[in-house]
Amino acid sequence: MMTRRQGETILIGDEIEIVISHIGRSRVKVGIRAPRQLLVIAQEVKLVGDENRAAALAPSVAALTAFVAQFQPSPHTFPLLPEELFVGQDAGTKTERISK
Amino acid sequence: MACPGLRIAANFVPVQSPACAPIVFLQSLEEPSLRFITIPVLVLDPQYRLQVMDQDLEILDWRAKRQPQVGEDVLCLAVVSIRESGSTANLMAPLVVNLQNHKAVQAVVPQSNYSHQEALFAAEAPPC
Repeated sequence: MMTRRQGETILIGDEIEIVISHIGRSRVKVGIRAPRQLLVIAQEVKLVGDENRAAALAPSVAALTAFVAQFQPSPHTFPLLPEELFVGQDAGTKTERISK
Repeated sequence: MACPGLRIAANFVPVQSPACAPIVFLQSLEEPSLRFITIPVLVLDPQYRLQVMDQDLEILDWRAKRQPQVGEDVLCLAVVSIRESGSTANLMAPLVVNLQNHKAVQAVVPQSNYSHQEALFAAEAPPC
C-alpha cells in the first residue's frame, strides 16, 4: 500500500510510471507510462475480452441444439425483435444491418 | 461495434428465427466465421437495469441527459458462452444497440452488480 496525493507519481522498476493526475469524488484519473509491448487495460475490459473470445468459438451443433431446447418448452413466450428493426425478410429469418 | 478481445468486429446483422427464440444470432459481416449467440437481457432478468457509461453513450450518439430505456430506446443483448460446464451470459457488458440509428457498443460496466459469467438456467431449475 502506498498513499499518494494528486499530481504525485509512483515508479515500478525503471520503465513504468504511474501518475495520480486527478482525484474526484468517487473516481481517480491515473496516467500510466509503460513500454509499448505492455498491455495496459482496465481489469473488466480484460474479463470481457476473454469472455468475447470464448463466446466467439462456435459451439457444436449438439451443444447449440441442447442450449436452444432449454428455452422450450417454456411457460413464457418470447417476443421477437420489433419488426421495424429489420429490412428484407425471408421465411422465418430476419436480418438487418447494425453499423458502427 | 468494437468488442474487447476481438481485433476485427465492426458490422453485425442480427438473425432471429422463431424456432430459436429468444436467441438472437449476431453475424459479423466482415468475418463469416464470427457470430455471437445473444439473448435479450430482459429475458434473463426482467429487472435488469442498464447503466451505460458516458463514453459509450457517445458512441451510440445518445444525446438525451437520461439513460436509455431497454426496449424503447435501445436493444440490449447479453452475449452467451456455451460451455460444457454450463452456459453463461455476460450481463456485465451487454451489447447495446441504439434503435434510432442502429449504432452499437459493448457497454462494459466497471462496477456492475452482474458478472461477465452469469450462470444460465441454474436458478430456473425447478427445486426437486
